Amino acid sequence: MKFRVFRYTQGDDAPHYDVFETRGVPGMSVLAALTTIQEQQDPGLSFRSSCRGAACGACAMLINKVPRLACRTQVNELADEKNQVHLSPYPALEVDTPWDPATEVLVEPLPHLPLLKDLIVNMTAFFDFLQSVDPVFRPGDPLPGKEFRMEPDAVRKLERFTNCVLCGACFGACPVNSRNPEYPGPAALATLYRFHIDPRERDPGSRITSADTGSGWWACEFHANCTRVCPKGVPPSVAIDQARKELKTKRGAGR
Amino acid sequence: MTVQPGTLPCTGVTPVIHRHDLIIIGGGLAGLRAAYEAVSAGINVAVISKVHPLRSHSVAAQGGINAALGNADTTAHDSWEAHAFDTVKGSDYLADQDAVAIMCREAPAAVIELEHMGCVFSRDDAGHIAQRPFGGAGYPRTCYASDRTGHNLLHTLYQQVTAKGVTFYEEYFVISLFTAGGSCAGCTALCIPDGTIAGFFAKATLLATGGFGRIYERSTNALINTGDGLHLALEASVPLKDMEFVQFHPTSLYGTNILITEGARGEGAVLLNKNGERFMKHYAPGAMELAPRDVVARAIETEIREGRGFPGGSVHLDLTSLGEPLINERLPGIRQIALDFSGIDPVSTPVPVQPAQHYSMGGIDVDIAGRTRLPGLYAAGECACVSVHGANRLGGNSLLDTLVFGKLTAETIISDLPDLDLPEPTAIEEAVIEEDRRIVSLYSKGPGENIYQVRDALKKTMVENFGVYRNGPSMEAGLIEILSLRDRCHRAGVPLLQTPFNLPLVHFLEILGMVRIAETVARCAIARNESRGSHARRDYPVRDDDHFLHHSLAAPDSNDTITVRTSPVNLGMFPVKERVY
Repeated sequence: MKFRVFRYTQGDDAPHYDVFETRGVPGMSVLAALTTIQEQQDPGLSFRSSCRGAACGACAMLINKVPRLACRTQVNELADEKNQVHLSPYPALEVDTPWDPATEVLVEPLPHLPLLKDLIVNMTAFFDFLQSVDPVFRPGDPLPGKEFRMEPDAVRKLERFTNCVLCGACFGACPVNSRNPEYPGPAALATLYRFHIDPRERDPGSRITSADTGSGWWACEFHANCTRVCPKGVPPSVAIDQARKELKTKRGAGR
Repeated sequence: MTVQPGTLPCTGVTPVIHRHDLIIIGGGLAGLRAAYEAVSAGINVAVISKVHPLRSHSVAAQGGINAALGNADTTAHDSWEAHAFDTVKGSDYLADQDAVAIMCREAPAAVIELEHMGCVFSRDDAGHIAQRPFGGAGYPRTCYASDRTGHNLLHTLYQQVTAKGVTFYEEYFVISLFTAGGSCAGCTALCIPDGTIAGFFAKATLLATGGFGRIYERSTNALINTGDGLHLALEASVPLKDMEFVQFHPTSLYGTNILITEGARGEGAVLLNKNGERFMKHYAPGAMELAPRDVVARAIETEIREGRGFPGGSVHLDLTSLGEPLINERLPGIRQIALDFSGIDPVSTPVPVQPAQHYSMGGIDVDIAGRTRLPGLYAAGECACVSVHGANRLGGNSLLDTLVFGKLTAETIISDLPDLDLPEPTAIEEAVIEEDRRIVSLYSKGPGENIYQVRDALKKTMVENFGVYRNGPSMEAGLIEILSLRDRCHRAGVPLLQTPFNLPLVHFLEILGMVRIAETVARCAIARNESRGSHARRDYPVRDDDHFLHHSLAAPDSNDTITVRTSPVNLGMFPVKERVY
């Protein structure tokens, strides 16, 4: 199996691609392939990884022009029709290397974030956007003596959004993030919505107004690339749609 | 090469020294819980981690966290004492009972506190935190967030400490503790993104670096779990305790060894051999699949060795009787893992599983307050050994350990801080320059031994000789192999001078520690001529309380050889009895 891997070191005039060939073994993930390449062929190849079980979110990258977790992406299933992810276009999806999808896996860094080295990007902007939505629980006062009571159904609704691992795949998949430097992006907005609907908050249902701006909820164009690429099944586009509906209803009621 | 005072040979810049009251090495649950406590008390605290804190292995914890909330009580009532008894019995009576009492007494408050921080837990119909049965527990005591409990806890704590303004140094790999005048006053670290060495100057240093599972070929652990904190402690002559006790989780996914939570069995999944037989009836007729992990892991290993496993060495974990709605509600992550990593849907097909290294009961020797023997140095979480897990940890007690002892150790540090002094800052600058020189010498050695071959040989040796079952002669052979691998490691060099994100350099430094940790496991295991908890010797198959009801303490002697001494176990609450399930 061949891997066409994006290479860049600070100071290089331009990035380039290296092609590596490694023996495919059944069940091999892209992360396992990169590890093999780094250990046996090119020790200088840099990428992030940690849990290798799709729990930590460290290894998000662009694989065959789709943002995915490298650990969760099985090499031999990439070509399967059922694994094809069709995304609304944005510049990073344009192919500018002689890539043959039939024989090569194309591995590139997550788009929309500054390059550091090879497949590693600077995630600071992504986490700064997260902080901008005040992602911390604000309970009422006083706290209950034991746990807050919660309906199992409320937990189910929250869990859709708490499952986010902050890997950045959605940020790298969002056409709006490709051109709007003010847009917090899908993960940050989904997190804001998670706190908005938490019935244990001091003032539940009050949070969405904080992103009621042209670069907040209203910047989304509903390409839904975010929901398509999320490795944990989180649907940011659903959160954004709900938030916008709620805001419209509020305005209607205030008129 | 000549070195100008105050400059680094590797980078030619003046050393950067960061100053804080407290530095915490490791950004998992223990580290962040301690950081929360310290920053809330107004302490200037920084967390140093070789990865972004949310990539810490705590995030992968699945099944839950134990606390005697009594939410699932029917007729009998759970209590912290019952939790303590289960923990002590589970530990094969090697846990310190005073420490266990603290952990179990504080458990309900620890869980409720995280809930009050916004952590989402699964609920029962009355809206209380749901609790499920777990191995070795007398009550359904394990609180959970479906099968992503660690994820929910870690993200919640990260949100809290970030909001409170804790400083993070991400992607810094700590390479030595800085000691002066008989106490620890910080550390030196490799800044992975730019290859420089920085100094961290602090009155108190807390190690919270997690376990060392990656010294084994088969492990459920993250790739980052290389035991770095234990190596730092050993290099500072701080002893490691009970290193022979390594937990093998019974049910890791065959092939990748990704964890399949004990919660699956808690919800009713059964284990079957190739004849379709529920073989646990031969090993633990009372508890069956919910016997403690050491018992179930040995049972599976025996089935496989005696030819009743599936080809390649696995048994089946059968969830098919649970039904799709329950699996989707309580074990959705497990279903996804099985689908993603072996193409199997547990709703309709049994999942092939095998035992794999999962947890380190042993660790840096600390007292009940989290202090090591080196003033200014503390440890908490999996890298530490208080001991609350003894010879075998119960499922659901590790997340609890991180929260309770993360908090408690921070409280100790807060009260110790006024009495801790800092040496002259020039000393740490010298230490940084010294470390920089060491890194340069690694680069300049040339290619030498291939570190990855050394590491792979180590992992194989550990599985073969220090696995679920052990035997004197094979362990002796294993130790000789480990010592020769250590020699080979010292002959290895590191390619790529001065590059950002130099993975081989980080890996080399990790592997240097891994062989040393492996040696402590080996020497402690060889010294314990009995079977207790996870330490199962074929040549000494029974527990021997007369000679071995004690902790093992391993530290380098003056010849740099690891020697093993002993220290007493704190008994008191529960009499030592035979352990039957």
